[in-house]
Amino acid sequence: MPRPVPLNDLPPLTPVVMHILLALADEDRHGYAIAQEIERLSEGAVRTGPGTLYGSIQRMVKAGLIEETRRRPPAKDDDERRRYYRLTTAGRRALETESARMADLVAVARAKRVLRGTNAPRPA
Amino acid sequence: MNHQREPIGERVFGALLRLYPTALRAEHGEEMRQHVRDLAGDPRFAGRPLRLWRHLIGDLIATAVPARFHAAIDALHQLNERTEHPDSGEQMDMLLHDVRYAFRTLRKRPAITLIAVATLALGIGANTAIYSVVNAVLLSPLPFPDPDRLVMVWGKTAGNPQAAMSYPDYLDMQQRNRSFSDFGIVRPISVNFTGTDAPDRLVGEFSSANVFKILGVHAALGRLFTDVESTLGTEQPVVVLSHAAWSGKFGGDRGILGKTLTLNGRPMTVVGVLAPGYEGIYGSVELFLPIVYYNKSGLQRGAGTMFTFARLKPGVTVESARRDIVSIAKQIETENPSTNSGQSAEVVTLRENLVGGSRTALMTLLAAVGVVLLIACFNVANLQLARAAARRTEISVRAALGASRQRIVRQLLTESVLLSIAGGALGLLLTAVMMKFLVANLPANLYLATEVGLNTRVLLFAVLLTLGTGVLFGMAPAMRSSRADLSGALRDRGGRGLGRGGMRDGFVVAQIALSTMLLIAAGLLIRSLVSLQQVKPGFDMKNVLTMEFRLPPTKYNTPEQMTAFMLRATEEIRRVPGVTSAAMARGVPLSGNSGSIGYLAEGKPEPKPGDAPGALANATTTGYFATMRIPLLSGRDFAETDTRETMPVVIVNEMLAHREWPGGSALGHRVRAVGDTVWRTIIGVVGDAKHIAIAELQRGQIYTPYTQDPSLFSTVVARVARDPMSFGPPVRAAIWSVDRDQPVWKIRTIESLAQRSLGQPRFMMMLVAAFAGLALVLAGVGIYGVMSYTVAQRTHEVGIRIALGAHAAEVVRLVLRRGMVLTAGAVILGVVGALAATQLLASQLYGVSQRDPLTFVAVPVVLGAVALLACWLPARRASRVDPVEALRSP
Repeated sequence: MPRPVPLNDLPPLTPVVMHILLALADEDRHGYAIAQEIERLSEGAVRTGPGTLYGSIQRMVKAGLIEETRRRPPAKDDDERRRYYRLTTAGRRALETESARMADLVAVARAKRVLRGTNAPRPA
Repeated sequence: MNHQREPIGERVFGALLRLYPTALRAEHGEEMRQHVRDLAGDPRFAGRPLRLWRHLIGDLIATAVPARFHAAIDALHQLNERTEHPDSGEQMDMLLHDVRYAFRTLRKRPAITLIAVATLALGIGANTAIYSVVNAVLLSPLPFPDPDRLVMVWGKTAGNPQAAMSYPDYLDMQQRNRSFSDFGIVRPISVNFTGTDAPDRLVGEFSSANVFKILGVHAALGRLFTDVESTLGTEQPVVVLSHAAWSGKFGGDRGILGKTLTLNGRPMTVVGVLAPGYEGIYGSVELFLPIVYYNKSGLQRGAGTMFTFARLKPGVTVESARRDIVSIAKQIETENPSTNSGQSAEVVTLRENLVGGSRTALMTLLAAVGVVLLIACFNVANLQLARAAARRTEISVRAALGASRQRIVRQLLTESVLLSIAGGALGLLLTAVMMKFLVANLPANLYLATEVGLNTRVLLFAVLLTLGTGVLFGMAPAMRSSRADLSGALRDRGGRGLGRGGMRDGFVVAQIALSTMLLIAAGLLIRSLVSLQQVKPGFDMKNVLTMEFRLPPTKYNTPEQMTAFMLRATEEIRRVPGVTSAAMARGVPLSGNSGSIGYLAEGKPEPKPGDAPGALANATTTGYFATMRIPLLSGRDFAETDTRETMPVVIVNEMLAHREWPGGSALGHRVRAVGDTVWRTIIGVVGDAKHIAIAELQRGQIYTPYTQDPSLFSTVVARVARDPMSFGPPVRAAIWSVDRDQPVWKIRTIESLAQRSLGQPRFMMMLVAAFAGLALVLAGVGIYGVMSYTVAQRTHEVGIRIALGAHAAEVVRLVLRRGMVLTAGAVILGVVGALAATQLLASQLYGVSQRDPLTFVAVPVVLGAVALLACWLPARRASRVDPVEALRSP
């Protein structure tokens, strides 16, 4: 199966890591804003507590997927206690690769009729 | 949230942060604190500290251990690379060492270890099992989107705080309210399905289209019906099937869309199948139809038969919605005095409606089972104390060799936690077994938001409970033993240790006191169940078969047609061989079918609107009272000659007759239902009969004759010679001989209904009694353990006494006296505690006072007997001490 970028040594990303990458895809954010964005993107289904969030951030910074950014928002919105994070190039690549992998999987699932028609979720 | 509380919350969180590895704390600790401040200000959590903490603690538990694990791995790596940062590595080593050491110690005394593990397993297992039910009922979010904003709107009258709504009232409220973003209505009711080989009854729900939206329900196949299709004037004959009905009764046929089903005699087109999972809010609904297809008379104002669901607009509270709705209800009352006088409205959260009724019972169970665990903890703590006493020498040696007190406490705590982990693991196995039992015996009316099972939350609870338990029973002994007096202990090897009696005695007293409380609770519940079973229902439920049916309004649309069917069907049923008598009633006792009305008695001062006395209303054919064996006290039964052309008549029960005409006869007086214009003459008085529940307070009852007050829905009652269920097919055949297309359902006996109505009290009684039994055994073991230990400690002293000529009996008395003094004190404490605690039970009791003297006397006697036995065994052993042996031992 063709892959845009070979990143073989990267295991499938955990859902939280994936969510954090997605939250930072369009905008640099501070921790709490990341949590809020994740909740918004998942329509409330994923709620990341502080331990989950900063534990993941720590590991992701270490793995070079995200980094702290110096660029701060305009002074009126800024809160100096906050630290802002942004995707690194590697992080963006990992996000693209993982998304492509997931899209492939979904295509297979559809072909095998595991996933039928439109999404019809149970009342959550 | 008030401002004083925040800093405390933050401080606590700051302390909890220590559970995370140092590196994470140093790097992100300040952000994490800020995060919590942000959360506290978030509208979702503001003013709901419990909810916030549940979120935080859940997250903490889920992440702290993995984070530590990662940190430990990192540290080990670094250690191998000879870098600095030995901190976590060393800690890890120390932990491993402690664990290994604890294993060895525990293995050395397998019997004690086994008893401790088994005790903990019972406690933790039972708690986790009960928690799994509490979790499924009270703690899990309801399976709907944003469930906390869902409410139900009810009518409210003087006699009924939650009365069903009428459709026109609903429409007015829907138009005028300013509180709801959506407001829908449903009417669950059986629907006749004909045009196939065998007529069948399906559970239907007439509903407005927006109910699907409010509850977040989607179609898996085809579509849902629309607002237009469910509105009067633009209605369309469409139907949506539940997934279960589609895949079951309709064979999972994907081609069903567009097909026509004959429902209540009318062709309806299938337009969709719901996604699996939703079957109406109260479950088991098979098909959904537009509300306006509910029969015409059911859509009139005053016909309160419907339930409503609404979603609060953002920012609207239940309280302000209630004010809004109540003021609208007042307008409606003014506009429609004939139907709505005395009617207000009420707004209640959906959660409260679904689970509010079971809260007290479940909390009582959780408290009871918590007490069992507490007793188990005291037992194990005592075992640990005894063990620690035996190890004083070892501990002193370790202290002398330079182990810090903290280090020793940690070692001892490791042992406790290891014990509790073993207990927890075994407990989970027990949980699985107990859960099966619980699920099989859950009362039928309990609403479960999710399945009862070992899900993540329940497992988390078990893990927390296990660790908490380990610390709880381990802390006191560990602190106590680590304070060993060095020189003393080294000199006197395994000496008396009498100074430690205080704590042990305290534990035993606590155990017995708690057991007393549980036993009293169990005793009260048993007595309550017994008196429930002895309630005279007012009818003879032996050998009575019932079944229900509903005539399709399209086919039977005049009172004459309905009456003709009832009379002919009853006649046919009476002809079935083995049926001794038969009749029809709109609702039979305990079936869940009941109606209540406000009524006026002629010649009495007219009560204010809404203040009319209430009575249960029922309609019956001739012979109902004879069939049910409800005694006719005076006057006569209904006759087929009581028709719509003759004088309107009623029969009332003794209680109503006595209430309205004390000392005189009710016969000949007339009554009228509120909202009705017809005065009906009382022609008979019958005995009181329970109707809604066995445990209910007797209410007034008014019966009308079917021949004057016919209805589409009816229940057959047939008294038969024996084995009522075997008469199901012939009685049904008798109905089919009148109309081959008429489905019947709920073929069952009144006796089975009575059994079901005792479901919840029996469930409570069974569990609390089981817990109390367990508590009694644990407390017995506890006191036995302590007395044995005391005797063993005093062997030397006893030896001397015997050598000096004391008789065996005196020694026994000496030991017994101590045991009984402890027991007596504990029982008194327990009784006092029970007097306070049984207040909580009051709502669960029937026919027995919460201070029932029999229970309050019997329980201390039983406990005293058990304690006596538990003390007597070690006492007898003491009396057989060989003085020579005793004196020779150090």
